[in-house]
Amino acid sequence: MATIKIYTTPTCVYCKMAKQLFEGNNLKYEEYNVAEDDKAREEMITKSHQLGVPVIDVDGEIFVGFDRKGLMNALHIKA
Amino acid sequence: MVDLLIVGGGPGGVAAGVYAARKKIKSVLITESFGGQSLVSADVQNWIGTKSVSGFDLGLMLEDHVRAQEGIEVVDGDLVLSVEKIDGGFRATTQNGKIFETRYLLVASGSRRKKLNIPGEKELDGKGVAYCSTCDAPLFKDKITAVVGGGNAGLEAAIDLLPYASKVYLLEFTDNLKGDPITQERLRRDPKVEIIFMAQAAGVIGDQFVTALAYIDRNTNTSKELKVEGIFVEIGSLPNSDFVKNLVDLNTIGEIVVDHKTQATSCPGIWAVGDVSDVLYKQNNISAGDAVKAVLNIYEAINKG
Repeated sequence: MATIKIYTTPTCVYCKMAKQLFEGNNLKYEEYNVAEDDKAREEMITKSHQLGVPVIDVDGEIFVGFDRKGLMNALHIKA
Repeated sequence: MVDLLIVGGGPGGVAAGVYAARKKIKSVLITESFGGQSLVSADVQNWIGTKSVSGFDLGLMLEDHVRAQEGIEVVDGDLVLSVEKIDGGFRATTQNGKIFETRYLLVASGSRRKKLNIPGEKELDGKGVAYCSTCDAPLFKDKITAVVGGGNAGLEAAIDLLPYASKVYLLEFTDNLKGDPITQERLRRDPKVEIIFMAQAAGVIGDQFVTALAYIDRNTNTSKELKVEGIFVEIGSLPNSDFVKNLVDLNTIGEIVVDHKTQATSCPGIWAVGDVSDVLYKQNNISAGDAVKAVLNIYEAINKG
């Protein structure tokens, strides 16, 4: 199973949508709240070279924003 | 072929879906997501019947309401890219390559965010230039930020930034703010906020990340610069009418021209509601009401045969 890390803020809707996609497909993920966690925020910026959430790391492949199609491909989720 | 294809999952599209299902009109609703532009709103306080709801929860409520109806097919995570006229109706093609044929079409596709179109904006998108304050405001903790736009969306972006940013400049093109007075008062009271009127954003400056925002002071016609690390753009929206632009009349800003009594467009068989139409006020409650008008008119059209 793929390792999924998602960097989020508590009020970010697209983060919630991404998590819904994972949960709806019984996929486990680790969530880092970058509003609170300074270390995770730095890690996210280093990985994505930008300041927008969500950032999603699927086995090292980085997605910026909620790229539903890209994530479905990477996670082999059927439409 | 279905009787009605509804494009959009905001309050307009969903209201249309609910009414169409209750009238037993054979319908399909296609949307990318539910909730429309309010989806990213932290707190919606004017959706009638609900004192306070987040945009995300409003989206869930809308989705839940339309999915509870029998006899309507709901297709989400997809987008209508083009519509063509066929014998007896229309054919719509979606991003996922699906094709739907329908007798009547209701366009409730809303609008999308307008960009500044100034140098540096594209290059530094995500690198300090942001379009979703509820999402990204926490990333600007202790940073100096600017919001461009003094309408409701701009005021709300400034409010979202207040708990985090060390300073919020609010740039407005004219000499007065257009957002709700209740929100204006809250901002005017906050010492972190500095409102700059008659300001035209002119350029985003920065190498890896944003370091400054250049603007023109329209009072004196001089160039000025603000040292900021975050720029939130909230300058209005553009109607999502491209996919029907060859079929219906649009006004000069791309909105679909409708008969405000029935929501009918210039093309027989196509109706439009909400922010994609030339409705004067862009409001969730109005979009829902206009969609109801449209479906009742469509129902009459179906019964007339």
